[in-house]
Amino acid sequence: MIALVLALIVAAFLVAPLFIVVPMSFSTAASFAFPPPGYSLGYYQAFFANESWLTSVFNSLIIASITTVCTLAITIPAAMGFVRYRFRGASVFNLIVMAPLITPHIMAALAYYNFLAKFGILGTHLGVIIAHTVLTVPICFLCVCAAIKGFDTNLERAAMSMGAGPLKTFRMVTFPLLRPGFLIGALFTFLYSFEEPVVALFISGRVAATMPKKMFESIQLDADPIIAVVSTLLFAFAALAILIPTTVRLFRDRAA
Amino acid sequence: MIAWESKAAKPYLLMAPVVAVIAVCFLLPILNVLFLSFTEPTVSLHNYARIFSVPLYLRVLANTFKNAALVTVICLVLAYPLAYTLVRRGPVIAGILLAAVAIPFWTGFLVRTFSWLVIFGAEGPVAGVMRWAGFEPPRMLFTTFAALWGMTHILLPYMVMALYGVMKRINMQQIKAAESLGATPVIAFWRVFVPQSLPGVINGCVLVFTMCLGFYVTPVLLGTPTDMMIAQLIGQQVQELLAWGFAAALSVMLMICTFAILAIYDRFFGLQRLWG
Repeated sequence: MIALVLALIVAAFLVAPLFIVVPMSFSTAASFAFPPPGYSLGYYQAFFANESWLTSVFNSLIIASITTVCTLAITIPAAMGFVRYRFRGASVFNLIVMAPLITPHIMAALAYYNFLAKFGILGTHLGVIIAHTVLTVPICFLCVCAAIKGFDTNLERAAMSMGAGPLKTFRMVTFPLLRPGFLIGALFTFLYSFEEPVVALFISGRVAATMPKKMFESIQLDADPIIAVVSTLLFAFAALAILIPTTVRLFRDRAA
Repeated sequence: MIAWESKAAKPYLLMAPVVAVIAVCFLLPILNVLFLSFTEPTVSLHNYARIFSVPLYLRVLANTFKNAALVTVICLVLAYPLAYTLVRRGPVIAGILLAAVAIPFWTGFLVRTFSWLVIFGAEGPVAGVMRWAGFEPPRMLFTTFAALWGMTHILLPYMVMALYGVMKRINMQQIKAAESLGATPVIAFWRVFVPQSLPGVINGCVLVFTMCLGFYVTPVLLGTPTDMMIAQLIGQQVQELLAWGFAAALSVMLMICTFAILAIYDRFFGLQRLWG
């Protein structure tokens, strides 16, 4: 009982502060005064008319999408090789793949700032995509490996014993069964890139500025209340994306 | 395992692209930072000597460890009852609590940092309540207090998930067995549940502590430059002073500290387990 009360207090500490961005986004004040002196849709209009905010959202969407494709393309085969085979150097390989996750991001930011500048792609979409692809490999790798480990290889043997070739087996048996795991990997990769605040801050420059960079600068430099609108939208997306599946699952379990 | 296993080169071929990408686009840039730390502006150990000879920088190092330790302990104290309740209660309460952990996690660092910026602001709700109660609110924003508070809020979900990952595998029948053999619920909790949850405690502490050591965004936005952590100092050296060599040396120090902790963890538990 005490644990439950404590748990609910901690849960409230986690979620409740986020709600403050909602009234702020409808505020009429030019500052972050709470409670707001009046309510309007002014900052929503301002957001949808503001080119630099919209560009940053667009940049983040583009960068996160291309990053997801690149990361999946190199990570899925690697995870297959890693889980399915015994080979020399497996632990070294694992360390190499995990390196971007265990390296402090401020160091990665510094490294990319210097490195991308040497090739003249600092502040470009390409530069951010390269950095984000590398940084998301470990996360995607963990998701995809977990899925592959749970896969029963007897199903492939069954398909092959009935005359399917390796390609057909992959297309008709392996891939459909692993698809949920791949999708989770893709989701984590996309969201990580979309919300990555440190490396993008240093390397995305002005043209390729991502949304987290724009938010960071907006908080640090000009206290622009439009950030409350962006925060409210992100909060709403996250809340719906979590609450809808959770609720559906609860009701389905109850019905069953 | 299956038919196309016979070729010994196959796993290497499958893994070659990812290794090539990480080697060229990650290890090379990192090695470049290492190189810069010894060569910029001149070839010497001067950058490292500077970290250990200037009291300000030593204080930043000490501060970083102190803050990371504090945040880790607070996260553990807050997360433990939450994770415990998650595994002990039915699907409805567990669903609500998991949503409470997942929503902030997916909302992103900056939204959460911004929320605290408003809450602790001079015109924010906390200051408002204090004025209403009749006393002048102290300065809360841009203090170490705000930075620690914000970091705790942001890292707490990681601690909860690390604890939950281990706790959900604990067999609850054992607690019932202990109680049926005469243990009080408190003793059953301390002697049966807590010891089995320790791997989760270690995982969560290592994760949160290492993330906190290199934390940039929240301390910069909510904290104060007079009480810096190392990531903030690195950013400042690069962005304001263009002191590449010194920033590189600081990053290498940070990386060594992080890797040392992970290496110790790896020695005893195996790094693979850290992410469950």
